[in-house]
Amino acid sequence: MNAILEVKGLTKNYKDFQAVKGIDLEVEEGEIFGFLGPNGAGKSTTINMLSTIIKPSTGYAKVNGFDNVKEKNKVRASIGLIFQESTLDEKLTANENLMLHCKFYGIEKSIREERIVEVLEIVDLVDKRKNIVETFSGGMKRRLEIARGLLHYPRVLFLDEPTVGLDPQTRAHIWEYILKLKEKAGITIFLTTHYMDEAEICDRVAVMDHGKLIALNTPEALKAKVGGDIIEITAEDLPKAKEIIESSYNLEVQKKDDKLSFQVEKGSEFLVQLVREMDIAITSVNLRRPTLNDVFLHLTGREIREESVSKKDMMRKSMRGPH
Amino acid sequence: MEGILAVWQRDVIKFFRNRAQLIGSFAMPFMFLILFGSGMSGAMSSMLGGGGESGALAEFDFVQFMFPGIIGMTVFNTAIFSALSVVQDKEFGYMREILVSPMSRVSVAIGKVLGGSTVAVFQGLMMLIFVPFIGVSITISMVLQLIPIMFLVAFALSSIGLLIATALKTAQGFQMVIQVLIFPMLFLSGALFPLNGLPTWMDILVKINPLTYSVDMFKKIILEPEKMDPALRQAMGLDIEVFNHVITFTDEIIAVSILSIVFVVLATIRFNKAEA
Repeated sequence: MNAILEVKGLTKNYKDFQAVKGIDLEVEEGEIFGFLGPNGAGKSTTINMLSTIIKPSTGYAKVNGFDNVKEKNKVRASIGLIFQESTLDEKLTANENLMLHCKFYGIEKSIREERIVEVLEIVDLVDKRKNIVETFSGGMKRRLEIARGLLHYPRVLFLDEPTVGLDPQTRAHIWEYILKLKEKAGITIFLTTHYMDEAEICDRVAVMDHGKLIALNTPEALKAKVGGDIIEITAEDLPKAKEIIESSYNLEVQKKDDKLSFQVEKGSEFLVQLVREMDIAITSVNLRRPTLNDVFLHLTGREIREESVSKKDMMRKSMRGPH
Repeated sequence: MEGILAVWQRDVIKFFRNRAQLIGSFAMPFMFLILFGSGMSGAMSSMLGGGGESGALAEFDFVQFMFPGIIGMTVFNTAIFSALSVVQDKEFGYMREILVSPMSRVSVAIGKVLGGSTVAVFQGLMMLIFVPFIGVSITISMVLQLIPIMFLVAFALSSIGLLIATALKTAQGFQMVIQVLIFPMLFLSGALFPLNGLPTWMDILVKINPLTYSVDMFKKIILEPEKMDPALRQAMGLDIEVFNHVITFTDEIIAVSILSIVFVVLATIRFNKAEA
């Protein structure tokens, strides 16, 4: 296996803070590689450096064997990019958008037609070819962007939050297309996300927080690190329940909202024991396998969605304005 | 090369697809020519021909005088505003699609300037629709002279527009800057009134204004001053003198060409440095 993407000591400094604090990683050809972390962790800055949009402060990145700074245009020809925000020209038709892309990337005239049909078939948009993009739904625009990103047969496809802002059904569809892509074209996919379920589809996941990689492994291995099962309980006197569980079973208990959560080796057996031995009335129990969210919680002591959700809420509030 | 063409093609397609803009572009020239021009026309001819001592001055027709200036105004506006698409592309994200592609930034800049220039020439030619209503006679050979001159002038202004656009982030800001820039330049160009008997300070501004020479080229093609009575030519301000040298058509072509080259180079350098 060859490394198609090679990153060493990559950092990005802005005036008053360091957005990316030194990243090393290698991505193998044909992998789906996920970049997971809360908003503001430095994911987008990293992906922008890898795709030659911004210059790293120190360190280097190589894509397809080309240096991201010295051989910018060769890197650009080897990658496809799908940004968080749409970069389609909505006043033009789907076909015009694709045709312009062919010209920007110097795709030979004789094969343009064939390529356009090919990528439109992957994303099921052949019959919308002559329509103005403005009339497309959010999901269709995303699909068209994915199609466009594939036109020049990139070796690596970068997807920055590919499904953000889409409804669950459309998200699922977009993923179908991405997986289809991997199978058909053998393309390497590098994506950022803060959706846990999306990260689980990846072959390997790098967890990023505060500009640093804090873990890098397969989703299974990461979850195994958390160890055992997750038990969540609610009880009448939570602080006291926490104290009892911590002292008598020697466990690390986290309190969140109105429930306690902790990890144990054999969840179902432990639960029976706990309910029998506990003096305080337990009002509900929940036993589950760890998710990547638990991995993040385990690594940082925070939940990944907490911050992003509260940020969105704040935005919504400020957008509504005073009433 | 292909990249330049693609960037150019996109702007041209979008120009012809935008019906509202096409129709709206007639509004300003219409107001100036028909409302303002016709209104002023009577006053002007009574002021000039009022003495009755000169037959030549009685021929002064203000609307006809303004017509080349209005074509000029249309070309300037369209060309300089064409760079608005660069700012909008930044706002709506399309600029990233362009900038992350392997084509060179120089191609993008040149494509944009050429696109803006082409659109401005079309827009300028569309103003010929007014010809039958204002009694100017336009020959085919005039149109054939007009096209390259319009293109040259538009090229200079598109480059200025692009230079400004690279520095700005919002469409609103761009529109503000351009308005503040283009209006005084237009008023000081002789497009809307004859350049004679001006106060010295204004005369200086008029003569350092590149639009003066651009408008003058349109006037020289359309009004045919060489066939005019010298007194009328004088009244229309068609003999521009700089340091006692009467400016010729060739001088003007050279001046505007130099201006074009300077600004397209500056704009390309600036654009080349911009991050996606």
